[in-house]
Amino acid sequence: MHNNVNINVHHITRVEGHGNIVVNVKEGKIEKLQWQVPEAPRFFEAMVRGHSYQDIQTIVSRICGICSITHSLAATKAVESAMGLKVSEQADKLRILMHYSEQLQSHTLHVGYLAAPDFFGTPSVVPLVARAKDVVKTIVKAHRIANNWSDLIAGRTTHPVTLIPGGLTKTPTEKQLRQLQKELKDAVPDLKKIAEVVLSVAGNIPKFERPTEYVSLKQTTPPTYTFYHGGITSNDNKSAVLPIEKWHDVANEFVVEQSTAKWAKWHRDAYAVGALARFNNNAELLSPMAKDAAKIFGLEKGCCNPYMNTVAQLVECFHVVETSIEIIDQLLTKGLKTEKITSSPRAGKGSGCVEAPRGILFHDYEFDKHGKCVAADICIPTGQNHANIQKDFEKLLPEILDQQEKDIRLKLEMLVRAYDPCISCSTHFLNVQFVR
Amino acid sequence: MDQTPRKDTVVIGLGNLLLSDEGIGVHLIRKLSEHQNKFPSVEFIDAGTGGMNVLHLIANRKKAIIIDCAKMSKKPGTIRRFEPADVKTTKKLTHFSLHEADILRIIAISRQLDECPEQILIFGIEPESLEVGQKLSKTLAEKLDLYAADICKSLS
Repeated sequence: MHNNVNINVHHITRVEGHGNIVVNVKEGKIEKLQWQVPEAPRFFEAMVRGHSYQDIQTIVSRICGICSITHSLAATKAVESAMGLKVSEQADKLRILMHYSEQLQSHTLHVGYLAAPDFFGTPSVVPLVARAKDVVKTIVKAHRIANNWSDLIAGRTTHPVTLIPGGLTKTPTEKQLRQLQKELKDAVPDLKKIAEVVLSVAGNIPKFERPTEYVSLKQTTPPTYTFYHGGITSNDNKSAVLPIEKWHDVANEFVVEQSTAKWAKWHRDAYAVGALARFNNNAELLSPMAKDAAKIFGLEKGCCNPYMNTVAQLVECFHVVETSIEIIDQLLTKGLKTEKITSSPRAGKGSGCVEAPRGILFHDYEFDKHGKCVAADICIPTGQNHANIQKDFEKLLPEILDQQEKDIRLKLEMLVRAYDPCISCSTHFLNVQFVR
Repeated sequence: MDQTPRKDTVVIGLGNLLLSDEGIGVHLIRKLSEHQNKFPSVEFIDAGTGGMNVLHLIANRKKAIIIDCAKMSKKPGTIRRFEPADVKTTKKLTHFSLHEADILRIIAISRQLDECPEQILIFGIEPESLEVGQKLSKTLAEKLDLYAADICKSLS
């Protein structure tokens, strides 16, 4: 055991936004161990006030450049609940297709660009291109298919434009859906190749376990590995599926000094959301290829190794591709119809909940009789994971304190990255100096 | 999905429309799209804060033009045209975060993957305000037509 360890990571890399890791160990005693979030608040809940119910999904899509479809879907569902709007079966299926495109986009980004460098021992994806060009090309190809998929259904890759309260403004043609289906079928061998490569370096995934509460959506009618419909469940609350309107009773958000983001807790002092949470609550409902992928990695229901969240994401890539091929069959069998969407405002409140790639996401809005937003409340998955990351740190550090400081640091960083946190996506401007 | 062949030239506007001048790239794409008829072989794309998605948007094109808000230590409203080799990034977390996905790093990856356009031009516009707000600052708003004309010269 080291007598003294001092780690100050300001800011952790390969995550969305800014988070710090602070470790102070003096004479073998842990004096300080914190997962800190210093991001400035975003004020989206204030920003949407006064805006029409028809514009909310467009504004909140800007919360994130990675999961903009997810935020738009959660907002749209909440608005539809408040306005009493029903969505057709066709629009519902197309929205699920849209949502799955983002799951594939985000998961390939995280597995391929952010987590893979840890497994290969490179600082980022840039040197990885030189070392494993074919692998990166395969990852880029899978990501590109997901992007084109979003373009088709959502109207563009990031920040969807086809989504409106009541349905969608555009229906893809039969030809376009057949082409998408072909591309998804062609993507399967690439996903298998990525899985093989990750499996070949899976020995570098740290072995660490901490019994954890996992919270996700659960859909019982029909039983589905859900990202979109259903209610809220947890492995601590198996018999009950809470309606999404009860999400405040789940998140129980609270403020802590070390973080500008709120923390969350339900049955324990922290809980986790994300791919591993969905897997732990719904694994038996995965598609056949996704189940096979889980099996080759030895990922089983009840896994409480947070580092395996990345593997669970990979498993979900198979699920969304395989399930989407089926959904397209269903849409084509039934025949595509052009739908005209109309809606009118009314006063009301509504909640919307979907699974972001990073975990369960809640949106709440209240509108006046003119359909102007008067209140909003958004609870993002990364916020729900912060307390759990801290609790993981508190169990992990004593177990690895005999290791080199650089190895301790890497394991703590990898742990944070495994949660695929999206701490903030507010700005991205260029910062440059002219060299000639 | 889309069976239309890719156009040789792409003009990509980057930015967040909710942060005043940070959204200049997107504002300019809207303006330039009004001239689409004059440039049939050019695709104008509002890429928002798309980050790594730019890798796919520029892939296998002949020419790419990227428009973005840029902190260049110039007078607010200044527009500068440059090539990737003309600058170096001063971002601390570049290529380590998708949030701060750095266009210069993305271009480097594109080259390594053998799919980078032969010519890449970047138009950087110095912001006056990055405050929360959906409108450009007066300084940039008044120059929108001038910026568009400047960029169009590179399309001829």
